[in-house]
Amino acid sequence: MGWRLGVDIGGTFTDLCAHDEATGAVHTLKVLSRPDLPGVDVAAAIADVARLHDVDLAQVTRFTHGTTVGVNTIIQRRGATLALFATDGFTDVLELARLRMPDAYSLFGERAAPLVPKDRVFPVAGRLLADGTQLQPIDPASVDAAIAGARARGCAGVVICLLHAWRNPAHEIEVARIVAARAPDLFVFRSTEIWPAIREYERTSTAVLNGYVHPRVALYLERLEAVLAEAGVVARPLITRSNGGVMAARQGRRDCVGMLLSGTACGVMGAAFVAAEAGIRHAATLDVGGTSADVALLLDGQAQFAAGENVGGFPLFVPSVAVSSIGAGGGSIARVDAFGLLKVGPDSAGSMPGPACYGRGGTEATLTDAFAVRGVLGHGALGFGAVRPDVDAARVAVGKVAARLGRSEEETAEAIAAVAVSAMYLEFSKLFARNAVDLTDMTLIAFGGAGPMVGCALARELGLRRMLVPRAPGVVCALGGLVAEIRNDLLRTVMLPLAPESVDAFKDGFAALERDAQAWLADVGEPGVAGVVQVSADMRYRGQSYEIEVPLTAVTCAAMAAAFHARHHAVFDHADPAAAVEVVNLRLSIRAGAPGIASPVLLPADGPPPSRPTRIFLDGAWRDVALYRRADLRAGHTIAGPAVVAQDDTTVLLPAQSQAVVQSHGHLLVTL
Amino acid sequence: MTLRTDPVTLQIIANHCRAAAEGMAYTLYRTAHSTFVKETEDFTIQILDRDGKTCATPMDLGATWYPGLDYGEAMAMVEGVRPGDVCACSDPYAGYLATHAPDLHVWRPVFHDGEIVAYASGHIHNTDVGGAVPASLSRTLTDVQQEGIRLPPLRLVKEGSIDPELLRVLLTNVRVPEQNLGDLKAILGATATGERRIRGMIERFGRQGFIDGLADLQDYAEAQARAVLASIPDGDYDFVDYCDEDLPGGEPVRLALRLSISGDSAVLDFTGTDPQVAASLNVPTGGRPRHSLVLVGVYYVLFTLHRGITLNYGLTRPFTCIMPEGSVVNPLPPAAVGMRSLTCARLRSLVFGAFCRAAPERMPAAPAGSSSIVNVMTSDDRTGRRLIAAINPIVGGAGGMPHRDGTDGSGADAAYLKNTPVEITETEVPVRILRYGLAPDTGGAGATRGGLATELMFTVANPGSMVTARNRDRCRFRPWGLLGGGPGMPSTFTLNPGTNHARELGNIDTVKLNPGDVLRIVSPGGGGRGDPFTRDPDAVLLDVQRGFLSAEAARRDYGVVIVEGELDAAATAALRTARRPPHPLFAFGPERTAHEAVWTPEAYAAMGQAMAAIPLHWRAFLKKELFQAIGTTPVPDPVMRVATALADLAARHKPLRPTVSQYSVFGYTRRRASSSP
Repeated sequence: MGWRLGVDIGGTFTDLCAHDEATGAVHTLKVLSRPDLPGVDVAAAIADVARLHDVDLAQVTRFTHGTTVGVNTIIQRRGATLALFATDGFTDVLELARLRMPDAYSLFGERAAPLVPKDRVFPVAGRLLADGTQLQPIDPASVDAAIAGARARGCAGVVICLLHAWRNPAHEIEVARIVAARAPDLFVFRSTEIWPAIREYERTSTAVLNGYVHPRVALYLERLEAVLAEAGVVARPLITRSNGGVMAARQGRRDCVGMLLSGTACGVMGAAFVAAEAGIRHAATLDVGGTSADVALLLDGQAQFAAGENVGGFPLFVPSVAVSSIGAGGGSIARVDAFGLLKVGPDSAGSMPGPACYGRGGTEATLTDAFAVRGVLGHGALGFGAVRPDVDAARVAVGKVAARLGRSEEETAEAIAAVAVSAMYLEFSKLFARNAVDLTDMTLIAFGGAGPMVGCALARELGLRRMLVPRAPGVVCALGGLVAEIRNDLLRTVMLPLAPESVDAFKDGFAALERDAQAWLADVGEPGVAGVVQVSADMRYRGQSYEIEVPLTAVTCAAMAAAFHARHHAVFDHADPAAAVEVVNLRLSIRAGAPGIASPVLLPADGPPPSRPTRIFLDGAWRDVALYRRADLRAGHTIAGPAVVAQDDTTVLLPAQSQAVVQSHGHLLVTL
Repeated sequence: MTLRTDPVTLQIIANHCRAAAEGMAYTLYRTAHSTFVKETEDFTIQILDRDGKTCATPMDLGATWYPGLDYGEAMAMVEGVRPGDVCACSDPYAGYLATHAPDLHVWRPVFHDGEIVAYASGHIHNTDVGGAVPASLSRTLTDVQQEGIRLPPLRLVKEGSIDPELLRVLLTNVRVPEQNLGDLKAILGATATGERRIRGMIERFGRQGFIDGLADLQDYAEAQARAVLASIPDGDYDFVDYCDEDLPGGEPVRLALRLSISGDSAVLDFTGTDPQVAASLNVPTGGRPRHSLVLVGVYYVLFTLHRGITLNYGLTRPFTCIMPEGSVVNPLPPAAVGMRSLTCARLRSLVFGAFCRAAPERMPAAPAGSSSIVNVMTSDDRTGRRLIAAINPIVGGAGGMPHRDGTDGSGADAAYLKNTPVEITETEVPVRILRYGLAPDTGGAGATRGGLATELMFTVANPGSMVTARNRDRCRFRPWGLLGGGPGMPSTFTLNPGTNHARELGNIDTVKLNPGDVLRIVSPGGGGRGDPFTRDPDAVLLDVQRGFLSAEAARRDYGVVIVEGELDAAATAALRTARRPPHPLFAFGPERTAHEAVWTPEAYAAMGQAMAAIPLHWRAFLKKELFQAIGTTPVPDPVMRVATALADLAARHKPLRPTVSQYSVFGYTRRRASSSP
């Protein structure tokens, strides 16, 4: 028996979850993140947990880690000086993207400048046709010229993406071979080794993201392994991925793109774990941080997946847990516009200077300040003692908005919360409509610092009857890493009609994917772990320009067709069993389960929970309500709203006519 | 602005209305059948007040044309609307709601206590609604009757059920009925979602609270629009732009606008715009003073000058449009209107131009302004079947902006189009793409450069392949530059470029290809903004290094000397100190300058006066005859030449006679005209 550690790096805090395999106990703590000194925060967190909870680091059996180094590299545009070798005649692939741009009504609409500017994109002569046959061989002289160009522009690495490599990677392999021979100092990624799907922009963009972050990610992971070795952690680190799973840190040095969205993915996986403990099947998750809120769906307990998730303005096409980001967080700034309307966000005070009540120089009224003015915050420190809210500073900031609005500070504070909730309502509505979600059996799971403050109001606005606050709402991401499975997703584009003569190709394709998947799993370095394989196919009606992923139980024509028509009907409300069907991609995912966590059960309640009176501003008036400490709550305790529950990492606001029950695992289920 | 609703609740209502509209749009997008609706997002969604005015519209999905749409007139043409009904209209000449026959508009009333409180509405573009040609749209059509089946405003769904007889008539008249039916169900489903959301809002905010909220949302948008107008100096701002041709191989279509801003309101007077044309380029507005179709450019300007402005009918209230009857912006039936989108693109640049005159420091130069959709109809060797496939929209760049270069290959008012990957096209269609990318030296020169054009070059595998390129324009009249910036390059369409049998196809929109033929289409480029000689030489160097600009163009257009990839600072400084002519506000390019040397504003005015005095059905003929008579050579007195030609025509055609007396009144007497050389 030993310990399992999960460490997740966020913008402000580094969160740690420690699970004692002997007792089932889960300990959590936070330290400040140190983006300036990568690894120092991890070292500090594990030193703290060793000291505070008497953890013998040599007994750590599993160490999972989520890092933002990749995504920050993109957002701050501090990645590698990269060259792109593309098929001659098609070198503007990154500039053109898919043409469509956000902000359709603005003449000043803008898309992110490519990570590889055109002066570092070099043509390679040589052409494959769509069936994979060669029209024109690779011209080595063009590769030489490209290498010379890349050197002249000071490139550290090369991404190769050639037309129709999805069908036949031979040309990419040949170019990579020439680069390796002539310029062994340049690192090389082929598009087909990153994500071999049809559609040249999507494949190029994904490969470029990988190459762009590769040097920094590789360096970071090396440093992490050194930090752990120094601390005496023997277990080899696992890195969380955008697909909600983990891989070996060693694999992450080249498979960098797989970890870009791991932070948000882990939040959803952590919420899924909590939902399972709480007996919840369908949920919407709301993770409210300082500058933004992440929202996602759990259907039948499962996270939803998407391709094309946005990373710093670029689409990422490896399978990722679908998460939408809303520009509304605890730091969202409230202001009154020229016409007297109250706006909240999208401008944010972020974590620096942060809300006025944090006392770090912020002077503008934020959502967090509004809750401080209303008496909801201020009963203790926030963020595990990192911040002690200054209610007077919050009053001054909210007062300025109140003067413009012609209302009292308290009324203004309540209005700020109401407007923020309506903006979140708008985003959730879109999410629900996009996925045709049935709301009747849906629970809102609210976490992050500010989530449980707005959760009840939002759930009511959405017409949801239940909201759940996890036991430790501030470290759900780290928890998600702790419980994550080892997972990899593989894909092969086939582009074949769904017809009897194609079935052999499907079977061969799945067999090849499975061989690759098993080899990958063996390479994770956790001996004796058996993988569970799931297969699916991306299919569409002939003539459609988009495909849907269809889970498969059998690779026969009839079974695949039936599964596709049913899935099409479920997603789009209609199906046409007579129409011709095409299979675009074969997909296979391999998962190796994490050893299950039995999270500890709270002591049963014996009598009502201790509370003390406090005053909060709610529904237009100051009201005397009970204030509870989360740490005092026992299984089976019930709390009638209005009330406030304070804890180290968040505060729960229970409105009138609500009732909260403490579940055996410590999660708080609120009925509205 | 005096609100009925408190300003906090109003913001909450605004978010709820947006949520309702977005929810409807996602439902429609998710359940639509046709790839056309899915891929081009050619649909719109609205929440309407009880008068039929748009109060909310989605931002995530759909076309950008109808945030200010007014259903009122079409609504009034349907009687006896009951709960459970859904009304529909696709006739561009009934109620001036639908703007060509493929667009089916529907509106679903929401009753509360026996009264209509609001509507959920929207439109879809049906791929085909019958008529003379597949997909129902062709520039060559002359009468609206050729453009497919039209529904006048009527009840399509009666108390919950689609009228079965009406549906049979509708589906009998279209080429792919199951697709139309699928899309119809999708938009009916979307409006049902809208009704549920509206009911939720009535419950949440109360009946009166909701009605007041809808009214206040419009007042709010109006106040925002008025604030934008108030920030622009008062004055009359004239602008003219041209479509290349009024029919295949025809004469230019002149669009004229006087934007008169006075305080916080504005008049848009289109007097001087050409008469309606014989091709299907007419824009059916009925002369309604706030028709959404002519205000699309205004929405863009308002949104650009006030980011995130509330989009609803209230935006249109400060504007009054004057559109002369019988002109291309107010055609009389049965003028064909199917390809009005080509003219609408020009109407947008016309509005942009007028606002550039009014507030040049805040506006961008002209966007490329022409998005050809390239389709190919060919045979599939594997199946022997005919297949039609979209290859790509060919979109040009945005105009140079006050703060940065125009986006290359997309952007501005064409930002919603999406391309098809080369790998997909080559897998599905027997064509081989030789090049798809940005075309160098096509963006207008400027302190901020115009966005580059897109170039597509391909060859087909099979004989008898038919390529169509809808919405061809800007082959002649270029996207204009602003404040010293140069114009973008015009579009080109070339068969077998670089060979001895190369052929320039201009605005031809249908071409037959045989194996080995190569077709190249280059969009227009965006206009440049500001004096290019003030552009940072390093930025010019970077453009050269990126292959966006040739060294010759850098020297000629920017005064930047680049030798073997290096900037020659001394030579650049020398070149840039040379005296240059003062730059005009707009740079239109040589083609327009040549055209306007012959067709001066006065000459156009003279023709316009003549047009006003003759019967409608003579106008297209008169225009053609006049253009032929006058030719392309400038003369010292262009007006007199017009008068002479008019007189000669009147002598031959009796119905044209009133023009002579008309012209005597304006001082162009027969005697004076005859004294011309």
